[in-house]
Amino acid sequence: MTTTIVLQQAINGVVLGSLYVLVALGLTLIYGVLVQINFAHADFVTLGAFAAYFFMHLVGGGYILSIGVAFAVGAALGWLINASIFTPLRRKGNELLPLIATIGVSVMMQNLMLAWFGPIPYAFETQYSSEVLRFAGIFVSWQSIIIIAVSSLTIALLYAFMKFTFLGKALRAVSQDRETAGLMGINPNQLIMLTFVIASALAGMGGAMLAPVLVLTPFAGTSVIVKAFAIVIIGGFGNVEGTILAGLIVGLIESYTTQYLDPGLIDIVVFALLLLMLAIKPTGLISERREENV
Amino acid sequence: MSDPALAQQMPGQRAALRSRWLGYLLAVIAIILLPLIFTDTYWRTNLTVCAINVLLAIGLDFILGYTGQLNLGHSAFYGLGAYVSTLLIVKLGIPFWLAFVAGVGFAGIAGIFLSLFAVRLRGHYLAIASLGFAVIVHQILLNWISLTQGPLGIYGIAPPPALVIAGTVIADFRNLAAFFYLVAGFAFLSYILLSQLVRSPIGETLTAIREDEVSAASLGINGAAWKVFAFGVGSAVAGAAGCFYASFVGTLVPDAFFVSEAFNILAMVIVGGMGTLIGPVFGAILLTVLPEVLRGLGDLRLVVYGAALTFVVLFMPGGLAQAARVVREKLGLRRSA
Repeated sequence: MTTTIVLQQAINGVVLGSLYVLVALGLTLIYGVLVQINFAHADFVTLGAFAAYFFMHLVGGGYILSIGVAFAVGAALGWLINASIFTPLRRKGNELLPLIATIGVSVMMQNLMLAWFGPIPYAFETQYSSEVLRFAGIFVSWQSIIIIAVSSLTIALLYAFMKFTFLGKALRAVSQDRETAGLMGINPNQLIMLTFVIASALAGMGGAMLAPVLVLTPFAGTSVIVKAFAIVIIGGFGNVEGTILAGLIVGLIESYTTQYLDPGLIDIVVFALLLLMLAIKPTGLISERREENV
Repeated sequence: MSDPALAQQMPGQRAALRSRWLGYLLAVIAIILLPLIFTDTYWRTNLTVCAINVLLAIGLDFILGYTGQLNLGHSAFYGLGAYVSTLLIVKLGIPFWLAFVAGVGFAGIAGIFLSLFAVRLRGHYLAIASLGFAVIVHQILLNWISLTQGPLGIYGIAPPPALVIAGTVIADFRNLAAFFYLVAGFAFLSYILLSQLVRSPIGETLTAIREDEVSAASLGINGAAWKVFAFGVGSAVAGAAGCFYASFVGTLVPDAFFVSEAFNILAMVIVGGMGTLIGPVFGAILLTVLPEVLRGLGDLRLVVYGAALTFVVLFMPGGLAQAARVVREKLGLRRSA
């Protein structure tokens, strides 16, 4: 009986963890290339969730297609906000200002959504939530299977893109050393835009899949993003493999804390782990060598 | 006085000193007059909220603007000051001012603790560590229900006891104007203290650390110790703001100290002009009053607030302090030196 519970929670943890990975990967990519923390990332998650919701309820589209819509909406908005706000700011060359701008953009987006969608939580249900597979006493909903399939496929594609394509290599080059990459003929501005669009699209997509789990209000993304920040640090800022590992760990911590301790303790456990990591190994689970210029 | 350069410098310094005292005098007059001009409950309440936010903003600016430590968890120290002082009063019956000192001390020690831990972390790591600290404090307040009553909150917190000298009531803090004088007076004294600290050799040491910690270390400055010191002072000031907040509002719920509050305080510092103490004072006032003035816009008011914040960062990166400097130079009020 207990092994069933342990296994059941392991599956729940992996489902949740793979969604956290999608959100955290965007943050870590942006950090890697821009050395910038993006607080507006949370709102791309929320917006993706709403885009999927309205695509299903107003247009009458299917759930799987709505994940694609959320991906596209995230990408489009990521492009718009980067082009209109963050690119002009970066030219000023101060590292704190873009951070504050992301807070400003976040306040703006949250309250625009509040004005449009209202504060009452939306019930996001799909036909896959109630269809359950059962084997050896363990329940897995089709929803969970879709989440694991879509997110692992996306993560694998992203990983292959980063490792094997020219653009992906250029992206990693820029995140290792922007100036030298520029000398090699790589245009950092185009890559920054690409990173931003990819990151926002992943967040939108993550939102569409997180929506059934979350209480869908204009502020839904905030609870996710706080964990995503913890994941990014635990995994090592800017490190893709570390982020994937840390995301799954945090998902598992969440499901086991809910089972054996108390759901209210989730954030405390996650952030205690974060502070512990910072105390013992601030470079993260998988550390990359990064030179610091003095 | 044989050195001509020095001789030239002296009158300039004297003028600076004179204008500083003039500034203090104007501030005192403004503090006295404000509750006499705004007599309705609504604006008098906002005045006190302004004063509390000024305390928060100058405390954070001391940490951020003078030692460059990116603290994203200022709401934690605010909340610790509020809860520690209130719990001491409500649960143990400790007199207000003793609980106040305890709340301030606790917040300061928590700041020192976090800073000691984070001092070897740089930039964004400290940012996330302090954010994480704020999340943990908020979650503890929310979940330690036997102590804090969690989301239900603590109600009916009494204002500070009336100031009585020789049997005469000097100030009864149930009166909104009296409460404003108390908080604004405290904020004013904190401002003077911090600005004296900033002008002293300690302030120069802090600036040296902010600008280039490695070079400062080569001059024998222990950067870590001074950063911890600044963090402690800034958090203690936030703790004081928390004590005042609790006794002013009379109700404490954990969500008042959610991380978004830390972002609000940070916005006040940035909009005002980081690294100047006077800027964040006006940043705090502006960002407290602005959402109130925009109330007529309903749901859109915070959209405008967010847009204004982004706009300031885009077009006025030095904040109000920079804008004031530009205006003064345009008007030719500033000597070309």
